[in-house]
Amino acid sequence: MLSEARIPYGTWGSSYFPAWQTSALAEVNIGQFAGEAMGRILGLRGVRKSELEYLVIGSTVPYHWKFWTAPLLAGLIDQRIPGYHVEQACATGLQAILQANNEVNNGTFDVVGVLTFDRTSDSPVGVFPERRSYQRTVPIADVWDNFGFDPVTGQAMLNTGGNAARKYRLDRREVDDLTFYRYQQYFEAKESGFLDRVLVPLDILNVSGKKLGTIDSDKGVRMLTREGLAAQRELDTCVTSGTQTHAADGMATLLVAHKDRVADLSPRPEIDIKIVAKTEVRVNPAMMPEAPAMAVKKLLQRTGLTMADMKVVKDHNPFAVNDAIFAKVFDYDWREMNKTGCSLVWGHPQGPTLTRIVIEALEEAVDLGGGYVLVFGCAAGDVGIAAILQVEG
Amino acid sequence: MTTTMRQTTLETLDLGTVRDIFANGAMPVTPDAAVDAVFGPTGERGALVISGANGIVGSGKAMQLGSRLQPYGVPIVALDLPSAPDGISKHYSGLVRAFGRDGADGIMQNIVRISYDGATLPTELDRYNPRFLLEAIPEILEIKKGHYDLFRGRYPEIEIRSVTSGFPSEQLGVGVAHPAFPHEINKIYEIVEQETSDVTRMLWALGLQPMRVSDNWSFVLDVLFCGVTLAGLRYHDASNMPFWKIDKHVRRLIGANPFRAHDAIGAKGADFLTWSCLHHLAENYGEVFRPTPMLDERKDTGLNWYPPNHFRPMVDWSLEAAANDELRTWLYGPMFQMTTLMLQEQRAHLAMMNLIGEQCAQFRSGTLAMMRAAGAEAVIATVERYHALHPDAAGAAWHPDTLAAIESAEWQQLYVNAEHDGTVGVVTIGREAYNHDVDAELNRAIDWLKAAAIERVILTGDFHLAGQLVGADTSNFFPALEDTDAGFAVSNDWSKTARRLNDEFVVSVGFINGKRCLGGMLELMSHCHYVVAVDDATLGFPEVTLPVVPGMEGCHWPFRRTDGAGHAKLMQMLLSGRFVGGEKAAGWLVDAVGIMDECLPLVWALATDGDHGIVRRPLEEGAVSGVPTEVPGLATGDPALEAARKAIVDCVQGSCAATLAEAVDVQSRHSADFMVTDACRRGRVGGEAKRTLDV
Repeated sequence: MLSEARIPYGTWGSSYFPAWQTSALAEVNIGQFAGEAMGRILGLRGVRKSELEYLVIGSTVPYHWKFWTAPLLAGLIDQRIPGYHVEQACATGLQAILQANNEVNNGTFDVVGVLTFDRTSDSPVGVFPERRSYQRTVPIADVWDNFGFDPVTGQAMLNTGGNAARKYRLDRREVDDLTFYRYQQYFEAKESGFLDRVLVPLDILNVSGKKLGTIDSDKGVRMLTREGLAAQRELDTCVTSGTQTHAADGMATLLVAHKDRVADLSPRPEIDIKIVAKTEVRVNPAMMPEAPAMAVKKLLQRTGLTMADMKVVKDHNPFAVNDAIFAKVFDYDWREMNKTGCSLVWGHPQGPTLTRIVIEALEEAVDLGGGYVLVFGCAAGDVGIAAILQVEG
Repeated sequence: MTTTMRQTTLETLDLGTVRDIFANGAMPVTPDAAVDAVFGPTGERGALVISGANGIVGSGKAMQLGSRLQPYGVPIVALDLPSAPDGISKHYSGLVRAFGRDGADGIMQNIVRISYDGATLPTELDRYNPRFLLEAIPEILEIKKGHYDLFRGRYPEIEIRSVTSGFPSEQLGVGVAHPAFPHEINKIYEIVEQETSDVTRMLWALGLQPMRVSDNWSFVLDVLFCGVTLAGLRYHDASNMPFWKIDKHVRRLIGANPFRAHDAIGAKGADFLTWSCLHHLAENYGEVFRPTPMLDERKDTGLNWYPPNHFRPMVDWSLEAAANDELRTWLYGPMFQMTTLMLQEQRAHLAMMNLIGEQCAQFRSGTLAMMRAAGAEAVIATVERYHALHPDAAGAAWHPDTLAAIESAEWQQLYVNAEHDGTVGVVTIGREAYNHDVDAELNRAIDWLKAAAIERVILTGDFHLAGQLVGADTSNFFPALEDTDAGFAVSNDWSKTARRLNDEFVVSVGFINGKRCLGGMLELMSHCHYVVAVDDATLGFPEVTLPVVPGMEGCHWPFRRTDGAGHAKLMQMLLSGRFVGGEKAAGWLVDAVGIMDECLPLVWALATDGDHGIVRRPLEEGAVSGVPTEVPGLATGDPALEAARKAIVDCVQGSCAATLAEAVDVQSRHSADFMVTDACRRGRVGGEAKRTLDV
């Protein structure tokens, strides 16, 4: 079936992703922030919120009143539309887009908003009455305790990086080189003004209506030195604090619309953007960083495309190890990917991470005159997800 | 033969000119006669019936009219359905604040509450002899008409007025007296009737402000208020900006908070009224009035426009210059267009049309004043830009030809009028607060009188639009908070205007005819050779409480016209901000006080050099000596207040030590210098500026 769904160019935007506990976002109901920020971003992009028919939201960290899901967030921009919540750990930001794509292709709605967000700062503590367990009542901090323990494998997220690095016999020096290069890519993109087209500065108010703070940078990100990276203590094989991402807070949004509605929504409707294919895989226990490469391999096989066909390659790489493995699997120069930055550098607020990656990748593809865009990443549970989009015009 | 600069607003009520009032030495209608005409003579008084008396409008009017009619022995019958929640008792605390406990008890005891089923009138009504029905029931035409039939069937002679916001009198079959929120306080009634009635004359005689408007769908207030709400809604649609933020911008640019106002009034009812007005306007005048889908929805749901407390706004909205320009177009464009429609239909005297926006719709300046300031070309350009953004609005209800008269006196004298009989001129102020517009219009009025060689003048409130004169419009001070040149200019320019009353006439008489004359308005009056006040007027210089330094020569001019005892009283007023009653001000602040019937002939005698027996107080043109430097017993721990007092003392000392010729600049400099201090910026004027401008 030919896809009828499109991503209208220029209707998207993301907040900056300040590192956890460094900004006003640490103090807010992130659902409310995301809803209001979506209205603001759409307004800046010239999209009337009344165009929205449906809303797919994605987040992973519980927030106040999350039970009310998409209708709550739509209500925050005074738009009474239905919708639902998508959650797939760190793949959420891409999965939400894919689900919105399905809603349009199914013919259910013509204009679907995608809104992803998370606040890792001060993540809630869940208290689980489990009388069968020894502890009787089990409290866990949502972000840190989950990262520290995969209930299936018993291993921490960080250890999957080490496991995968050992399997692929990665060289710490190469991983450090790769990481240093990723920082150079990010700061070059920032310097060029590229990020200003994607990221929207947002002022946050306190309950008295006074300014609580401005979210106008990926706060906490600073340029590293090659020597500094080499000097960092290895937490597991090839994994240091420098070669892994950091927790952050933020949101991102875009639209998926029927192709006939693009002209109403996009400032450049001649640019045609569609999702070509997607896939997911699950690899062996505690080997998460190889999952994205396996997903891409499967996707290329299914589509008959090759890496040589890809104009833009961009991934969610919580560990630099991910990219090193990907390069090995495909004999691909890791310098050719993530040219405008990546989550290794600008941080990982979970829900919106892959949405921002998609947005940046599409902007980059438009700059390059179009072509295939490969976006992929890993997710908790040793899952890999990958999608190919096509930009024409 | 009285010549007027433009038609007086009193003439729209067939009450003559203001000069007539002075020349006749009497008001055209007295309250006693007016009440007799409507309710019958004492001993045979009938009742005022207010139906829908527990609603927001009905209960508010029960308080306002009840408090005014109770002294005349007119019972107020509050009629409503048995299921209507009590809306009257909640006003009691407000009555106590205004009239004291005994007064409030008396007013409440005069209100008779009667329930009825909506289909038949209770026989109990007969006991009160209903003479006048003020109908305040829901805005459903057939229900209203049935209600009138019910009353006319039982009381064929009864006068009926509807408070409707939208239905023309022609549709209703009764006259209209459309009031404005807050109903217990706001004195304005938009009146639709063929000829000025006893009811209208009574409202005026009781100190209310009836304003004749034409019989078109939705009256002036609702076109303006619903119009600005709709403008905000359309901008919301176009930009996604949340309503709370749009309110801030509307407040900055126009002065109103339409969405907050809906929530404050009660969103469910207010949304319906706004929708109803706009719906009918759209049916009659086209798309510029069409309610948006959001308003359609809110009309049904009654959801508040502002978010609930647990979702107080979090993400702010800044505007780049281009976006700000677009916002201005979305707001001003429809307001200007709608105003041209009202001009085309001659809906009201221009001064009233303008003032209704200010007094009832919270506009800082009425739409006519805004359009006049912008100029016809800019107004047309704004509306055309609006039509580019909202093409549907261009189809109808746009009358740019009405702007051709923008240079006429009707447009140019919205707040100040002048009349003369060839000998005596009367300048009337129809705005309670002095601002740049009033200043410019006052100058034009004086020029007009001078051109007619008038050398005797009376300056007074207009007996209609300005029930009191409350001082300067402090929004005109906002630029002065950042710029001493702006502060100097406002003080100096206004002072020079005031001096014309002293310098350019053989005789000038200021008449304080309302219940208050404060601040800049009192300074203005003080420049007249004679000042007469009604004895129940309250006079004062509240500047120290804002705080600002009086800038229209209040720090030296009154001192030049009184002695040491007067100086002490003036210093007490200036430094305490406390008011004095008119009866205590004679001899040092004003020249004479009395009841209205005494004052009117006295003012005329002063103006015409008749037999008045009052000696003109001399004006000291040299330095004034012996002015006190302090007032014992006022010290507080409030640094801002003490800073203001020191600044006022310095200004008094400096300007009194100067000659009259020099003093105007000395006073202006002191006034301007204080306005850029932290004490002023953190005070009420600074706070208001921040709330208004810092969005």
